[in-house]
Amino acid sequence: MTNRHLIALNKRRVADLTLLVLLAGIASLYCFDAARASTHIYNLIMVLPLSIAIFILCTVQFVAALRSESIEAEEAREPTGALPVIVLFSLYVLSLNWLGFDVGTAMFVGVFLWVHGERRWPWLIGYSVVFAFVLTFFFSQMLPYPMPMLLPGLANAYPF
Amino acid sequence: MLFSSGAPWLIVIPGILIGLIFGAIPGLQISMAMAIFLPITLYMDFMQAMLFLTAIFTGGGFGGSIPAILMNIPGTSSALATAFDGYPMAQKGEHNVALGIALGASCFGVIIGYTILLLLISPISQIVLKVGPAEMAVVILWGITLIGSLSSGSVLKGMISGLVGLLIGTIGYSEAGVTRGTFGSPYLLDGVPVIPAMIGMFAASELFRLARKDYLVEDRAARQVSVRLVLVGFRRALANPWIVLRGSLIGVSVGAIPGVGSSVANLLSYMATRRSSPNPELFGKGNPSGVIASESANSTSEAGSMATLLALGIPGGGATAVMLAAFAMHNITGGPQFIREQTDVVYAIIIANFGQAFLLICLGLLFIPVLANVIKVPMNYLVPSVLAMSIFGSFGLTGDLSGPLTVLVFSLLGWVFKRYDYSVPAAVIGILLGGMAEDSIVYSYQISGGQWSYLLERPVAVVILVLLAVSLFGGKVAKFLTGRLGR
Repeated sequence: MTNRHLIALNKRRVADLTLLVLLAGIASLYCFDAARASTHIYNLIMVLPLSIAIFILCTVQFVAALRSESIEAEEAREPTGALPVIVLFSLYVLSLNWLGFDVGTAMFVGVFLWVHGERRWPWLIGYSVVFAFVLTFFFSQMLPYPMPMLLPGLANAYPF
Repeated sequence: MLFSSGAPWLIVIPGILIGLIFGAIPGLQISMAMAIFLPITLYMDFMQAMLFLTAIFTGGGFGGSIPAILMNIPGTSSALATAFDGYPMAQKGEHNVALGIALGASCFGVIIGYTILLLLISPISQIVLKVGPAEMAVVILWGITLIGSLSSGSVLKGMISGLVGLLIGTIGYSEAGVTRGTFGSPYLLDGVPVIPAMIGMFAASELFRLARKDYLVEDRAARQVSVRLVLVGFRRALANPWIVLRGSLIGVSVGAIPGVGSSVANLLSYMATRRSSPNPELFGKGNPSGVIASESANSTSEAGSMATLLALGIPGGGATAVMLAAFAMHNITGGPQFIREQTDVVYAIIIANFGQAFLLICLGLLFIPVLANVIKVPMNYLVPSVLAMSIFGSFGLTGDLSGPLTVLVFSLLGWVFKRYDYSVPAAVIGILLGGMAEDSIVYSYQISGGQWSYLLERPVAVVILVLLAVSLFGGKVAKFLTGRLGR
């Protein structure tokens, strides 16, 4: 096994252990938040036992992961190729309030296609604009509440 | 009434098509379709209105399986277990067979479910009257036990995922009248929106991973759409009558319980089939039995919820609540009196659903080849399109940006869980059942005054507990006893 592999494995183990600490921490934080709101049994009947159980299981798993010598699962790890998609998707969702569903969707689809190798401009622009328009128009007609839009004219018109 | 003219049947075909379309588009709900088209039923007589609405219900029951199989998006909570094995089948190029199985199990399930309803509507309504929070708690507990059996990797990590899901399901207002876990966000006051969370954890997180592939199915030959293979799948569903029958029985009985319904029925049926299988390790990897079990239960739970609606006038979920509104629009009140005085209408509704099942077979076989073409779309086009659709759908479910934000947060959580070998299905089941479980435990506690012996005074709860114990340990006990007797 090369040094590069060993570094990757150590990183993976650290990430694994960090996730366990995070899960146990969030469960404890939630339990404290619930207890601070009210210590009535109706409020804690599920939250308290569940939080304790998560804390215990995370601790057991933490100790087991520390002691574990197994590297089989670690070798099967996929690369982090999903990160650009995650970033793009996050920007799309977080910008919906400003860009609206119409322009935001067209931009998201267009940029996604470009990042993933589509260089035929008529396809790239045509598909993203037509897809965004059809989807926006369909949902704005079907839903009984207003959708954030940047372009005027795609406002809701509930049919019934 | 049904056969004197063709008029009642003319509205069944558009009803099934509307249900199929709304079920097949992630984020559009069957109850939403029924609510949108409810005003039209004002211009119909009561019988036609019921046929139209139940046709939407029937079409939507199967329609929900289409995105679950092709895109790993359980558009409704009742199609959750369909995605467990349907999507792996599609990834292996068996999408035609999987869709055929879903159609066969749905239609066969509807027929069995309504046969049970036809024969047992009165006894079912009597049993439903005896169902209280304690029984609901036990049924939900049964669903939660699925969490343990779904952990294909580390059992400990599977349990952690399920418990984290349950904890997430309790976020928001509690029965004590306080909020917890919202961390100041007004979006979380009513809790985490379950279906957007499900879409995020299952679909979006999977799409992040798939973005690097060229096609969902890499083998070009396996991407073909074949009606012949759809029919092969259809026949395969019929070749497993015991799985369908078990799913149907679970579907009717759980579907009849108000507030639980098809979202739990498909999970219980899946779990029962997995436990009784000689190869439980094949489930979750594209086992057709998983699809049959889930689809037969979710389509049959429609019959169960109709039993409660017709016999007691209690809606079991969103779709039957819309039907209750149709009752009110026609000045009809469901309940024992309705069954007594309008027996002909009740039985006509039940018999009409047999006809709907056969029409669904025809329409489904026409519709599936069109939809199955999704598999031929290159991933660089499919991934952003489905991600955008899931965002629109989630907005449609919540009516504000909490839906899209929920999809985003849970897609990240799902991606992290997959990356570090935690069970995503277990977490989703936890989220789905967390709130329900807490409510029924609190109500049981209020009624019993904290006395657990109260549970033993409830015969239906005891029967369900015994069934739960048999489903969990029956196989092991039988194996142990057979081993002892063999020696």
